[in-house]
Amino acid sequence: MISEEIVKKIAALSYLKIEENELKKFEQDFSSILEYVNKLKELDTQAIEETAGMAHHSNIFRADQPEVFANQDLLDLMPRRKDNYLEVKKILNND
Amino acid sequence: MIDLEKLTISQARQGLKNKEYSAVELTTAYLDKIKKIDSNIKSYLWITEDLAIKQAALADEMIAKNTDLPLTGIPCAIKDNIMVRGEKCTAGSKFLENYIAPYDATVIEKLKHQGAIFLGKTNMDEFAMGSSCENSAYFPTKNPHDLERVPGGSSGGSAAAVAANLCLFALGSDTGGSIRQPASFCGVSGIKPTYGTVSRYGVIAFASSLDQVGPIAKNSKDCQTVFEAIRGKSKNDSTTIDFPDSKKDWEIKGLKIGVPKEYFGQGLDPEIEKSIKQALDFYKQNGAEIIEISLPYTDYALACYYIIAPSEASANLAKFDGIRFSEIKKMAETEDLLDFYLQNRSLGFGKEVKKRIMLGTYTLSAGYYDAYYKKALQVRTLIKNDFEQAFKKVDLIMGPTSPVLPFKINEKADDPLAMYLSDVYTVAVPLAGLPGMSIPCGWTKNLPIGLQLIAPAFKENLIFETADFFEKNYGLRTN
Repeated sequence: MISEEIVKKIAALSYLKIEENELKKFEQDFSSILEYVNKLKELDTQAIEETAGMAHHSNIFRADQPEVFANQDLLDLMPRRKDNYLEVKKILNND
Repeated sequence: MIDLEKLTISQARQGLKNKEYSAVELTTAYLDKIKKIDSNIKSYLWITEDLAIKQAALADEMIAKNTDLPLTGIPCAIKDNIMVRGEKCTAGSKFLENYIAPYDATVIEKLKHQGAIFLGKTNMDEFAMGSSCENSAYFPTKNPHDLERVPGGSSGGSAAAVAANLCLFALGSDTGGSIRQPASFCGVSGIKPTYGTVSRYGVIAFASSLDQVGPIAKNSKDCQTVFEAIRGKSKNDSTTIDFPDSKKDWEIKGLKIGVPKEYFGQGLDPEIEKSIKQALDFYKQNGAEIIEISLPYTDYALACYYIIAPSEASANLAKFDGIRFSEIKKMAETEDLLDFYLQNRSLGFGKEVKKRIMLGTYTLSAGYYDAYYKKALQVRTLIKNDFEQAFKKVDLIMGPTSPVLPFKINEKADDPLAMYLSDVYTVAVPLAGLPGMSIPCGWTKNLPIGLQLIAPAFKENLIFETADFFEKNYGLRTN
């Protein structure tokens, strides 16, 4: 049910590059895992609600006040930087 | 010379209070031992010696001034997905090889407040994805009881460090069994607390509806001391909650222990089954009531987990792109931004992580969302209901932590499903948000066996008392 084409498509959606020689192994692994998780299809869950999270409460409010992260360490982690600005490749072409 | 072999947190506290040794001496003893023997076990990724010595001096001051707290002067190890400011934090990944934590996780702040001492960061499966520590991008950790075998995972380094007496306790994190399974494999105690009891701020996320931080230590009372120190509501993790202490008089007589028949099915090692049944007999002989129960959806928990956890991981790991931190240095010149992302992520993540990101991307993608992700969320409700029904009849649930003994390094490396199956008894607990603990209950030759105790939400104390009774009275050899 999983083909090399699908592996390539998911890799692109995941922003991952998979080498040609790895495709087969990914295809096999996905197939065996999906075959296993498909057992959920045995269950009739039409009337069952979904549990998306385990939080014991919801809607936690707080004042909308910005807090300044007061240490330089965060900036020092930036791989490319001009002064205190993060440098990235341009995403728009000139033409 | 301090004997570290049998030392526990409570004993070390006595030793420190009675001035038998100072925190600096205790810390130095651990650092020396790590340098001497950890090259065989490889439980630590690196030690944080300068920090440890500085903290130890502070702890000695606290003791001298009588301002000490339950963990003052206690040397511990921290799983490497938990941030300690100024120290490397890699989550076992090459992606974060040069990442220096810019702030402390809330649990670290709390331990610092107590005066605990950080000896180093422990090895783990990359981004906590694995059951053996073999998925660490750095090196595999060995099981201290048999160096040819795995310590379990993903908190394998933390469990191995405790088992090898290379710290008094360690922090781990548990998403599908990552504290309990390695605790079982290494013959130590470890608890995954109730969802929402411990802050995850500053902990590198894997699957946010499941992740929980917890302690691994030599016994359940030590785990309790650490749990009390790290739990509590925190403004930076809005899932955390303050909860009333479940402490009340505990009595073994009449304690109703549920034993799920589904936990003794196909695939359970007969030696483990024997040992678990002996432990249950012990509770029965002491007045507990053993009640066979059924958790009918047990068989679906693993499949449910392997849809939900990768789905959440694919979203959580989308932030790793090399832009704001951790650009991969060996990258070729990039053409454009997309190429930059692709190269960073492809070089930065290891195979298992890529596999789970892709699996999660697939189960969340258009056309498959309903069939996989939505379905899994519905089955999660059924699993949660299973436990709710069971806890109407029993106080707590017991069974094996793992169906298999610690396996050999590389034994399951090529078969992803065989590896995933070692989590079969642990995954349901986080899916239902419950607390679960593994304590050693027996040995087969030189390999430890773990007993799992599962309680209703926020009833950690019930687990601690029940485990403590076993440890004090069962007479299990310690290694």
